[in-house]
Amino acid sequence: MYRIGIDIGGTFTDLAAVDESGAVSIAKHPTTPADQSIGLLEGLSVLAAELELSRGELLAQTALIIHGTTVATNALLERKGARVGMLVTDGFRDVIEQREGLKPERYNVRLPPAPVLVPRALRLPVEERIRFDGSVETPLNEQSVRAGIDALKHAGVQAVAVCCAHSYANPANERRIGELLAEEMPGVHTSLSCVVLPQIKEFERFSTTVVNAFIAPVLSGYMKRLQDRLAQDGYEGEVLIMQSHGGLATIEDSVKLGAGCVLSGPAGGIAGACYAADITGVRDLITFDMGGTSSDIALIRDGEPCYSDDKTVAGTKVALPSIDIHSIGAGGGSVARVEIGGLLHVGPESAGSDPGPACYARNGERATTTDANVVLGYYDAANFLDGKISFDGAGARHVTEGIAAELDVEVIDAAAGIIRVINTQMAEGIRLVAVRAGADPRDFTLLSFGGAAGLHVTAIARMLNISRVIIPRSASVLSAWGMLATNLRYDYVRTAVNDVRSIDADLVRTLFLEMELEGRERIARSGNLIKRTDLVRSLDMRYGEQIFEISVPLKDIDLDAGDLIEQVIAAFHARHEELYSYSIPEQEVVLVNLRLSVVGVMNAMPAELPVTAAYELQPKSQRRVYLDEWADVPVYNLDVLGAGTRVSGPAVIESRTTTILLLADDHATVTGTGWLDIEVGQVAGSDARDSSHSGARLKVVGTAGG
Amino acid sequence: MPATDKITASVIQRRLFFINEQMGEAMLRTAYSQILNASRDFSTGMFDGDCRLIAQAEHIPLHVGALPFALKSVAEFFAGRIHPGDVLLLNDPYHGGNHLPDLTCFVPVFIDSREEPAFWTVNRAHQSDIGGAAPGSYNPAATDIWQEGIRITPIKLYDRGILRDDVLEMIATNVRHKSDFKGDLSAMIGAAQVGARRFEQLVHEYGLDVVTSAVDHILDSSEIQVRACIGNWRDGVYYGESFMDDDGHGTENIGVRATVTVEGDGITVDLSASDPQVTGFVNSSYANTVSSVHYAIAYLVDPQTPKNEGASRPIKVITREGTVVHPFPTAPVTMSTNHPSQEIAEAVIKALAPACPDRVMAGWGKRYRIALKGVNPRTGKPFIWHMFHARPGAGASMEADGWSNIGELASGGGLKFGPVEVMEARFPLFFHRHEFRRDSAGDGERRGGFGVTLEMKVETEEPVFSVPAGEGKYHTPYGLFGGKDGKPHMYRIIRAKDGSVRELKTKEVGVIIQPGDTLLAEAAGGGGFGDPAKRDPGARAADIADGLVSA
Repeated sequence: MYRIGIDIGGTFTDLAAVDESGAVSIAKHPTTPADQSIGLLEGLSVLAAELELSRGELLAQTALIIHGTTVATNALLERKGARVGMLVTDGFRDVIEQREGLKPERYNVRLPPAPVLVPRALRLPVEERIRFDGSVETPLNEQSVRAGIDALKHAGVQAVAVCCAHSYANPANERRIGELLAEEMPGVHTSLSCVVLPQIKEFERFSTTVVNAFIAPVLSGYMKRLQDRLAQDGYEGEVLIMQSHGGLATIEDSVKLGAGCVLSGPAGGIAGACYAADITGVRDLITFDMGGTSSDIALIRDGEPCYSDDKTVAGTKVALPSIDIHSIGAGGGSVARVEIGGLLHVGPESAGSDPGPACYARNGERATTTDANVVLGYYDAANFLDGKISFDGAGARHVTEGIAAELDVEVIDAAAGIIRVINTQMAEGIRLVAVRAGADPRDFTLLSFGGAAGLHVTAIARMLNISRVIIPRSASVLSAWGMLATNLRYDYVRTAVNDVRSIDADLVRTLFLEMELEGRERIARSGNLIKRTDLVRSLDMRYGEQIFEISVPLKDIDLDAGDLIEQVIAAFHARHEELYSYSIPEQEVVLVNLRLSVVGVMNAMPAELPVTAAYELQPKSQRRVYLDEWADVPVYNLDVLGAGTRVSGPAVIESRTTTILLLADDHATVTGTGWLDIEVGQVAGSDARDSSHSGARLKVVGTAGG
Repeated sequence: MPATDKITASVIQRRLFFINEQMGEAMLRTAYSQILNASRDFSTGMFDGDCRLIAQAEHIPLHVGALPFALKSVAEFFAGRIHPGDVLLLNDPYHGGNHLPDLTCFVPVFIDSREEPAFWTVNRAHQSDIGGAAPGSYNPAATDIWQEGIRITPIKLYDRGILRDDVLEMIATNVRHKSDFKGDLSAMIGAAQVGARRFEQLVHEYGLDVVTSAVDHILDSSEIQVRACIGNWRDGVYYGESFMDDDGHGTENIGVRATVTVEGDGITVDLSASDPQVTGFVNSSYANTVSSVHYAIAYLVDPQTPKNEGASRPIKVITREGTVVHPFPTAPVTMSTNHPSQEIAEAVIKALAPACPDRVMAGWGKRYRIALKGVNPRTGKPFIWHMFHARPGAGASMEADGWSNIGELASGGGLKFGPVEVMEARFPLFFHRHEFRRDSAGDGERRGGFGVTLEMKVETEEPVFSVPAGEGKYHTPYGLFGGKDGKPHMYRIIRAKDGSVRELKTKEVGVIIQPGDTLLAEAAGGGGFGDPAKRDPGARAADIADGLVSA
């Protein structure tokens, strides 16, 4: 039986199938933006053909499909979700538009106000009020609810977000409003904030609930079409959806919590990276996924991704836990320009895929990163991007000449300059992500994927003093493939704000147990796929007067311990010390949220097959490329390099989907599974260890004394 | 400079930008106080050996323009006595500070064995308390600077890498939250040192000569960009004025007056006609004033233009000593980072309206802070609560309506307020309402942003002591080109006992709020831009449907 991973990106739908022996087959097919399920089915046909099967035959032999989708992301980006109405506590109707008083781009005072997902006219006040401790200040006035419902009906909304103050502490009023909605507006989607994100902080909770309502109808329509199409082809296996938090959920649960799918696509890439960490044993990775418009960066530490519960997607706050992926506005399509003061800039503006870089022969008129790479001779003109895109080398040269004229330099210097600037941006962007996480990039290995990354990654590694780069064999379909190694996961949260010393340990145990039972029940529904269930507990805590909480893992703490609260306090101080290099033992500690992830660990996927016996190291050709000066370098075909082969730079290594540039003193070794493990030549000097990334403080000033 | 160096300069500019960003991140990660790690009230910058600002991160616009004065002051005081491993401090507004709570640390970057620092990294951060008569150091009663807090003239906190713990202890003893202060200070120094180390690495990679000439190029480039923008503005001599309500000590309608000359690609701002300095804490030190002019111009030119010494070259500022924008030393100044900073910027922007109508904005709401001090009956412990809620609206421009609820001009929409649910859980406060204030925005072809109404009950068992310190109850956010003014602030206490109303003044000390009383804070809306009759009917209908504008 097969397992199939499917990742739908903006341009291509990537598919990977693995059989019980571990053999991986991959396929790529253009995405169909209007209805992604069409391209998905077509892609399945291409994948089946790779295996010499019909689509029906392949599906009949498939037990599980794992799917990463950009349907939710696109709905949010393009503002093409449902028409949403809100029923909200009187006095709180503007929370989602107030955005905590923040505006982006501080110096841009003429920036138009950002649009909101629900206009004020559809944010209708309801008379009710719960207090912070869950007690009722004002009972629910059902008359006011019915009036609101009438107005929303009249406005023709397709979904309703119900957002009451302090509903995490007492959900009764929200639930009652939900019942009234079910009676009065059957068939209309309802999102209750106490269900979507039952935690304190109204902006995060309301905004996430509105996103959920906005996305749910779109997502549910897509999932239904997908299920129907698969059923028509006789598929009887399970479909699981990649979640923003890097785990999987059933279709039914994904539709209920659509806001948890907004980073479904990129999370697949990180799942692939975690799997890569597993099979290579390299546990600390920085993923570098270079696309056309932007590059995505994420940190993997000890095999685990970093999480954030404070993501803003397309200008909208989504506060569900998600993998912390940072996007920087630099990619293959980034446009170069010389500003009036004479300096060269590349990006964040992008030529996108249409017209795209000038070398795409689609009338692109501005020089991009890719055009500079063409001028420098890195690409195979005869087989550009596997022949999928026509190639205009003269066009690339022509637009780069424009930049050269403005800089008053030779065209080749302009091209090299564009690459220096874009590489600097990407390297420094990576460094910034590391600094934010309190990490030193030199402790990491760069995991490079995305078709455009291979030409830049060794130069970027040099800039960061990173000594090792890994490039998976199926780099361009890493997402699809990584999903196959992911687990089912459901996240829960409960809020119980208080000075931790005045919290009853039994309350902590009860809340964790409640969440655990709920999670185990959901996991049990996919029991046939599951090997065992893991529980990951953590607490959000802070010092009294701070407003940001930190996450304190409870991994080594026994919930039944008599001194549970004391242990929790000690764990908090230790964690604070670890993150910020100081703690204040005498200060009051406040507990805010309890979090539980219930993880259904899936039956293991067979490891990737070793590459066939070693081929001889034989360059397929020579290419004239510019590396500070013109040089003829050997070009190798990645697909035929045998395990253990060692290639030294300068050289070019190519496959159907990617081109990798090795610089002088770089040494690439082909691993047993056909990956490239690159030892990066070092930059001269600047190897002094600095502690700037660990957020090190001057201990001597410290916080001693009070 | 040879042409190929432009590319190196471009690369080095990116590096400098990111070094600054990294300093900011290091600061955010390590600072203790909420005002720094949540509200981000700090700024980082990098300077060359001539005290020229070469890069800054997008933090607090007002801080940046004052930093060069502070660095010059430090560099001159310690001329010939600055060594590797030194860390210097300063906060005094009469030595280049903004106001006393804004403490600045300086780390020199030495290259090879040169005797003078080649570069500096600098970090200015707002301290939760810097001593003086009032907790939080906003003291409306102050009549001289000594009543506002501890004055730190240029000092060395580290001398050749050795902490002067006697100095540290003396300063920390003079502020109210000693351990917070020390925590924040070490975060500031740590961040500046992160920048210094990365700077050293940059020079190590490229060599001092290359970095120095790249810096010249970067500064020139900013100057060219600003001049190109100003060159498109209509030449002429223009006049603008803006007023503060009062100084809290009997002087009202305090005027800032700007005569602005646009000549070719340069600007001269003459503030000499501004009112004489006043008794209360709304005087602006010279550095704070120059900085206010600079951010006003930065708001008008292309927002992407890097803010550095080059960008400020086309701008000349003239003041007269003894005025509210250039007081004789020892006048109190704590309020100045909001007011008259905003009035200075407004006078410049209003003056320039005819010169560059497509770039100016109508008036933004002004700052009105209020602090409550009392005892929390749930814990029996004392509490102090600073209001960041009830923010005013921003002014409209030719391109767009103003943003609602993002606050005052000097922060540019960068100051966050805390979640109401957390406030209620932590403090004896109950928020009945925190919503946009109907009809608060100035009408116009583009309307202003809406202010916010806060209706909040105080649920203590003992009276609460409050300190209001604000502006903009009488003087409204201005409209431009036929746009209407926004509504001004209105702050009241509604007494639980009998429903009577106590209107709050802009500056008072010790207004007593009784248990159960309600604070009704109605914030100003932004000014409108252009003739209201030309407003898009669809936009007008939407505002009416939204219940924000009366039909």
